[in-house]
Amino acid sequence: MTEKKEPESRKAAEEVRIGVYVCHCGLNIAGSVDCAEVAKFAATLPHVVLAKDNRYTCSDQGQDQIKKDIKENRLNRVVVASCSPRLHEPTFRKTCEEAGLNKYLFEMANIREQCSWVHLYDKKEATEKAKDLVKVAAAKAALLEPAEEAEVPITRKALVIGGGVAGIQAALDLADTGYNVYLVEKEPSIGGMMARIDKTFPTMDCSICILAPKMSDVGHHPNIELLTNSEVTEVKGYIGNFHVKVLKKPRYVTKDCSACGECVKVCPIVVPNEFDVGLAIRHGIYTPFAQAVPSTYIIDMNVCLNKDGVVVCDRCMKACERQAVRYEMTPETADLEVGTIIVATGADVFDPTALPNYGYGKYENVITSLEFERLINAGGPSGGHLLRPSDKQIPKRVAFVQCVGSRSDKSGKLYCSNVCCMNTIKDSLLIKEHWPETEIYVFYVDIRAYGKGFEDLYKRARKAGVIFIRGLPAEIVEDKKNRSLWLLGENSLQNELYKIKVDMAVLSIGLEPRKDSELIQRLLTLSRTQDGFFMEAHPKLRPVDAATGGIFFAGCAEAPKDIKDSVTQASAAAARAGILMAKGKVTVEAITPIFYPEKCKVCGLCVKVCPYNAITLNKDLKRIELIEAACGGCGTCAAECPFGALTQKHFTDEQIIAQVDAVTENSPEKKIVAFCCNWCSYAAADFAGVSRMQYPPNVRIIRTMCSGRVAPKFVERAFARGAATVLVAGCHLGDCHYINANYQMQKRVERLQKKMEQSGLNKERLQLLWASAAEGERFASKIREMKTIVESVTSKEIEASQKVFEKALTGV
Amino acid sequence: METAKTTNLKATLERILDIEKLKYCFDCGICTASCSMAELLGKDYNPRRLLERIVLNPDSVLSSEELWLCAWCYRCYKRCPQALKVPEIFLLMRTISVERGNVQASEKALKKIVEKIPLPFITTLVGFHPERAGLDMKKVIEKMEELLREDSKRRKKKKTTGASGEKVAVIGSGPAGLTVASELSHKGFHVTVFELLPELGGMLRKCIPEYRLPRQILDKEIQLIKDLGVEIRTGVSVGKDLGFEDLWKDGFRAVFIGTGAHKSQKLKVEGAELKSVIHALDFLWSVHSDGKVEVGKNVVVIGGGNVAVDAARTALNLGAKDVTILYRRSREEMPANPWEVKEGEEAGVKIEFLVAPAKILGEGAVSAIECVRTQLGEPDDTGRRKAIPIEGSAFKRETDMVILAIGEAPDLEFLPKETELNEDGSLWVNPITMETSMQGIFAGGDAVTGPASVIEAICAGKHAAESIASYLRSRGG
Amino acid sequence: MPERIKHKPLDIDKVKPPKAEIHIITDQCKGCGYCIQFCPKQVLEESKEINARGVHPPKIVDESKCILCSFCTAVCPDFAIYTTEKKCAEGC
Repeated sequence: MTEKKEPESRKAAEEVRIGVYVCHCGLNIAGSVDCAEVAKFAATLPHVVLAKDNRYTCSDQGQDQIKKDIKENRLNRVVVASCSPRLHEPTFRKTCEEAGLNKYLFEMANIREQCSWVHLYDKKEATEKAKDLVKVAAAKAALLEPAEEAEVPITRKALVIGGGVAGIQAALDLADTGYNVYLVEKEPSIGGMMARIDKTFPTMDCSICILAPKMSDVGHHPNIELLTNSEVTEVKGYIGNFHVKVLKKPRYVTKDCSACGECVKVCPIVVPNEFDVGLAIRHGIYTPFAQAVPSTYIIDMNVCLNKDGVVVCDRCMKACERQAVRYEMTPETADLEVGTIIVATGADVFDPTALPNYGYGKYENVITSLEFERLINAGGPSGGHLLRPSDKQIPKRVAFVQCVGSRSDKSGKLYCSNVCCMNTIKDSLLIKEHWPETEIYVFYVDIRAYGKGFEDLYKRARKAGVIFIRGLPAEIVEDKKNRSLWLLGENSLQNELYKIKVDMAVLSIGLEPRKDSELIQRLLTLSRTQDGFFMEAHPKLRPVDAATGGIFFAGCAEAPKDIKDSVTQASAAAARAGILMAKGKVTVEAITPIFYPEKCKVCGLCVKVCPYNAITLNKDLKRIELIEAACGGCGTCAAECPFGALTQKHFTDEQIIAQVDAVTENSPEKKIVAFCCNWCSYAAADFAGVSRMQYPPNVRIIRTMCSGRVAPKFVERAFARGAATVLVAGCHLGDCHYINANYQMQKRVERLQKKMEQSGLNKERLQLLWASAAEGERFASKIREMKTIVESVTSKEIEASQKVFEKALTGV
Repeated sequence: METAKTTNLKATLERILDIEKLKYCFDCGICTASCSMAELLGKDYNPRRLLERIVLNPDSVLSSEELWLCAWCYRCYKRCPQALKVPEIFLLMRTISVERGNVQASEKALKKIVEKIPLPFITTLVGFHPERAGLDMKKVIEKMEELLREDSKRRKKKKTTGASGEKVAVIGSGPAGLTVASELSHKGFHVTVFELLPELGGMLRKCIPEYRLPRQILDKEIQLIKDLGVEIRTGVSVGKDLGFEDLWKDGFRAVFIGTGAHKSQKLKVEGAELKSVIHALDFLWSVHSDGKVEVGKNVVVIGGGNVAVDAARTALNLGAKDVTILYRRSREEMPANPWEVKEGEEAGVKIEFLVAPAKILGEGAVSAIECVRTQLGEPDDTGRRKAIPIEGSAFKRETDMVILAIGEAPDLEFLPKETELNEDGSLWVNPITMETSMQGIFAGGDAVTGPASVIEAICAGKHAAESIASYLRSRGG
Repeated sequence: MPERIKHKPLDIDKVKPPKAEIHIITDQCKGCGYCIQFCPKQVLEESKEINARGVHPPKIVDESKCILCSFCTAVCPDFAIYTTEKKCAEGC
């Protein structure tokens, strides 16, 4: 964090020479923006010494051109008008650096995602907007200052959360590379969902047979510390330097356990085994399954007779030759220091109780696909004999019902769960393998056999005589006499109603986000898509990175996927984490605060709002102290400081005000001045562009890292200069990438709205929006809604607001 | 071919319908398989294909008779993965069709209804609702009478098949029972209807408000059935006055149970026994039997089903100043038909969601009701999300009449003990044959499904009648 | 594992819960209530009868719930209660 004297008149020191490049992006931009005209306009802007348009600025040629111009024309600022800075800012910053220009002297105008793609059919308006966006970028560029980035060391240890196949793979890869890994699993054993499945598609390998060796490797690896029956309770710090607290719940059995099983024989408690979805029993002391890692047994204190320190029953302790049973064990907290985190928390399965017409839970012979896996598994409750629950007979007719809880508005799961089609095909073949005479019906709407070897397996199932009927049952009814089931539906290819009787029906249930995803999200400040799965930094180019630095995803936590994809992603995540740790250090963007101590009145407001405790009040010396390494770079301190003693590097008050001024220079009465945060709302606007959602062109977006950076004076300035409306948009409360800085924004906006109301202004002219990066439509519809507000604002109202906020015009 | 008209129509659809969801429809067939009318009419009616055609070729739908055959039971909506409000989509199309003066489509539909649907007048009034699309009901009824005259000529010519004269007993004279009686008489069986009450009609008479089903139409329809030679025995309680053994002894070869769901669920809160706390069915029944019921000024109806809405509207019609329905879940979970709810609200009924009664207050008569606010939790075993009371949210509401409409269940105590029942206490039948666990005894309607719509009962009746006929044929040899 | 359990374990019949017999020496009981309080399966409750020592001794609510942990024996200050396992001959 830099302490600084007030900047001297910079212009005296150096003449500002800006070069502007307007990218066609093929027809992506040029299709709806007249790029040549935009370049021509750019050339007329102050400080702009050259302006060009070219087909692909990001191509080698385009970049070479910039480098050449920097040298030949002594450019000291570069503006590229092209796609989103979230995509190519790093590219062009590198270009500038290569030409010897500090990378913080580069600025981008987003005329693709936020202009050409969202105004596809109005070339005139889109061109005008693009010009405005270039003007705003140039205005900021003129005030940019060079900056050096601080380096932060990276702890060469990783945390993997979740011990399913993805977590196992990621942990092994990292450990084999030579890093220390903590693998945290909340269940008593690692293995996750894959350990519960019988066979895997499309190769029909035995699932536990191929997983168990990997599980065992994890157990024995010198670089892996395995923490089972444990949960992450706190994560602090930042990329390279995470401080993590893990709650280790007691097993009540020590590592001396030899897994002989003598204790189980004497335990009087019998309950359903969760691992078998309750289809088999376990005892109060148990191991969830034979291949469990660690093999150490565990006592379920929820059902054990010993409660509140009173030992009522000590049979297991007496039975244990190695004296491994310890009723007195208590929870412990482990403090871990790690540099990277891999989130491999997996997915839950859909609970079909929510669909009463399928009778799950009511009819014994309606089971889920997960229960089926346990039933057909040799290690399961029936020893691999497919039995129907009601009479333990082998069913002669079995139905599979697809898309249960997937692709449905009603169940709130709009996505395809990815694995159910192939899982059913695999299951149908398993039955055919053992009991070829079984009649099998698969009720589906689309069979998605998209992966390597999938279509072959589908063909095999068809050849084996599995009957595929297009059309889902509307209802399953039980025949009370023999517990068989009638499936009633429509064959939508034949346009005929069917009534088919089977002995057992398997509901092919979809996958859904873990119920505790919200907790993980909060602990790690992640974002989630509308479906509720964790969101990657970029869907194509950074598919395993979280938007938060140093955090990566593996497996179903990010989206439903099969074993192969989970393993692939896990290895990718391990590699990504490995890259960081191999470097051993990371540079931190120079967006930390600049502090002017002579202006500081030591009021302590900044200390209160800093989400990272990076600012402290030294009471003895009566001064504010900053810890740069802890700063996250949200800038909310700068917005909060009433005396202008704090501002944010690369997002200074001057720069943002210059942007506001540029936006409001022409016809402000028709405009929506929008402040969007980099992570959610700006990304939402980008997403609207990628999805080609069309909205009115009145909006001009000014990007800050966090909505917490938006100081009231920026909003006031916009109104003082005659803006019709202002939008401040941030991440959903609780989803802020800077922990809670967006709450400050909410407070400030609400205060401003109140002020507007008291001054007789229509407070609807200042709007607040929470939009996650996936909520492009939410952003677009907000702009549509605000357009109608813009149209309703009269010139008198604008004059009134200019008057109310006129103070904002001075003092910057 | 794109005509100007088509383009216009497409634009209308884009504006009004849940068109995005409709376009995404992936033809799972659940709507058709759930549809009572599709079951009654077979290949003649397929809502799924009709929906598909709205997207592909909306013009052809406007002139389609199928458009007029939806009977608003909303069973499709309740199960559709996309939660499409199919009846309302069809209503929009019907309205556009009427606006364009396309009368043939609806008339063709009426012809089909008269020919193929039992109890055509009742079904049209309480099921098809052509008036919602702007058709004049008077003209519709006149048209139907005309069609009926033509049809009865046709029927007379056609000799009844298998006129065996075997005796069938029908217990209960609601829509299900009347359908069985009518269908089996047409097939040449000798049907006797046993009814506990002095008049026929069951829920149609007891519960359905007069504004929806004028009693003269009901009487007319019943007369048509009587004219078929059906024997009527009112005031008889089967199981009490007359055992099942007696029926067999009397020569009945098959029995149909269509006794409906008339047992009101009890509200388990303090004060439920106070004066002016009344069950919705009792309330509606006394309104429709003697018409002299005093309603309060400030009426609270508890429940979220069709009966709750009917009771609320009836109370409003009888002069209540303020009628509010309290429902413990949200609008989405309401079992009542969404359109009925909408019409109720338009008529002035207020609805408060996420409110559950905690205590009814008053000395002798009701003076107020204490309620708590609720929030929705995980789905319970019935698949609906549980309403969980919010602590400390209790509030009082003044009222002088509380109508309880918290559900009705079948009263099946008259049946032999060994009869198989469903988990919810309704009567179990083989879904294919509609036969109960006792040989020769069939059942259908609310007694089997719990409270449902009239059209579902008629559908079940027709299904059972066919099954009874083939049962008797196979035994009669 | 968060799935709701909806089915009965298929192998539930394989475990034979022990058949316990609970013996209460009624007149030896002084009514401290420890056995009732500490029984992990809530097998016992206070009876209405009054014994020789003028107190209410425990009575058995549901013997089939007893899992023979013998904790009642361990906590009884008066040696007034003990459990035995029923032999199969006595009615398995």
